Amino acid sequence: MNIFQDGQPIDLETVLANKDWRTAFQTQLEKHYPDDVVVSVKLNIPGPIKNSPGLQQLFQQGFNRLRMMLGRLHVKDIKFFVARPSGPETFLIVSEDITTVKRVAVLFESDMLTGRLFDVDVMAYHNEKQLSRQALGLPARQCLICDKDAKVCMKLGAHTLTEGYQVINQLYKKMATTPLRIWPQTQAAVVQYALSALLYEVSVNPKPGLVDPVSNGAHDDMTVFTFIDSSLALTNYFNQAYRIGLDYSGGELTSIFQMLRKAGIAAEKQMFVATNGINTHKGAIFSLGILVTAIAYISRQGVASLQQLQQVVQGMLQGIVTQDLNHSFGKRVLTAGEKQYQAYQLTGVRGEAAAGFPTVMAIALPFLQQASGTTNQKLLDTLMVIADNINDTNLIKRAGTIAIIPELKQWINHYFELGGSVTPEGLSYLYTLDEHFMTRNLSIGGAADNLILTTFLAKMGGIL
Amino acid sequence: MEIKKTAMAGTLESSDVQIMLSQGSDGITFDLVSDVAKQFDDAIKATITAVLALYGVDNAEVKVVDKGALDMVIKARAMTAVQRALDLADEPNWEVM
Repeated sequence: MNIFQDGQPIDLETVLANKDWRTAFQTQLEKHYPDDVVVSVKLNIPGPIKNSPGLQQLFQQGFNRLRMMLGRLHVKDIKFFVARPSGPETFLIVSEDITTVKRVAVLFESDMLTGRLFDVDVMAYHNEKQLSRQALGLPARQCLICDKDAKVCMKLGAHTLTEGYQVINQLYKKMATTPLRIWPQTQAAVVQYALSALLYEVSVNPKPGLVDPVSNGAHDDMTVFTFIDSSLALTNYFNQAYRIGLDYSGGELTSIFQMLRKAGIAAEKQMFVATNGINTHKGAIFSLGILVTAIAYISRQGVASLQQLQQVVQGMLQGIVTQDLNHSFGKRVLTAGEKQYQAYQLTGVRGEAAAGFPTVMAIALPFLQQASGTTNQKLLDTLMVIADNINDTNLIKRAGTIAIIPELKQWINHYFELGGSVTPEGLSYLYTLDEHFMTRNLSIGGAADNLILTTFLAKMGGIL
Repeated sequence: MEIKKTAMAGTLESSDVQIMLSQGSDGITFDLVSDVAKQFDDAIKATITAVLALYGVDNAEVKVVDKGALDMVIKARAMTAVQRALDLADEPNWEVM
């Protein structure tokens, strides 16, 4: 992919006029928000092409990362100028002291990837001038191509533009393959991302067999509206889940899960109240609740990798598979998961959770991070990748046989052969599959739950 | 030509240069601060002096804050500054070049 494709070259006058405009606009913002900090974010791209669809995507991704790094700092206002011919740029108004914001800017600009491609200026009304890299204690920006001072290379014309473009394209690719990190966010933000994840999942369409706004799939008793009601009814639960992880003091991690489980049982009842007794989100209450709690817990120590998050989840759920599922032998009334464990030794959602959601972390998230197209297209393809990589216990239950798994894999294989959601053929095949699922009363609820988790973490990591 | 009033052009943005011109009596004198290595000082001064010469300005105090501007940027900003200092229309006179 070439991120400069379809970009319009601009002349020097436009570039310089934009610098004048930016300076004037910044001054205005500083005056308007005298007690806050103004952060200017823009790309640092050599050559006459300063904006293109690809550059806008690059900007958005870097900007999202910065937003996540700002974490719990209060962003009061935001001014977006994504389509300016002189390049996408944004101004943030942050209610915080300038040194704290400065520290985030240093972190962002120290990053090997974003530091080379982005310019972040931090300023405030009462500070005489904006903080340059030097004032932040950073070395001069390194050249994209060699390790010398970028400004010296520019002045000397040390490299060709083609070389520069190559490196920028490479950096962009690298950004999309760098594992995301989880920065501490406010409780309100985490809960909001959890609810967004639920609503994104039901909105993605057309999903084979599942409920979405255009089709109820193989679910006669629910519509997209049932899911909206159910999602909102879980707000309180996610707040509780967050508090459990945040307030937890000492002892075995498994006791966090025991606390969460109690809250989860109450949440299931709230779900049934909101949906008039229909099970919309039982799986999500379990697994998304776990992630929200784990994130609240791990955020107490600052930024975390996905691996660290996984370890916390594993710690919370230690022994759950044997406890829950082995105890099910001899029980009279079995859940679907318990039945399948007895019949096929499939551990289902409990197994995925106990392993720290490996399908989400190692397969779905990296896939989504590199996926292209609209949000809907990206999430459709991610859903199908997930479905391809799990033994969906919900699907097996509905099919009544595990033989459905190889059949499903064939369909998914065909879907990706057709080019996935971004091609008309792939998209139309999804409609065909939806019809087929409806006829056979099939659905991929397990995959849908994993899509919710993937979306939630993508939101937390700033990639969606 | 004499500088009529103190005038400024350019910003403190990276890759830009801010040039301030005021009346002088001792030829073209420079007060230059640059983000980049000293090696470019003479080139920056030469570029600005050349622009001033095109407008027939022989005496001026020139304050320069360079943020790593390319030569063409320095030229453009210098032109705007001169036009403003000479009370000409605030449009770079590209024909002069």
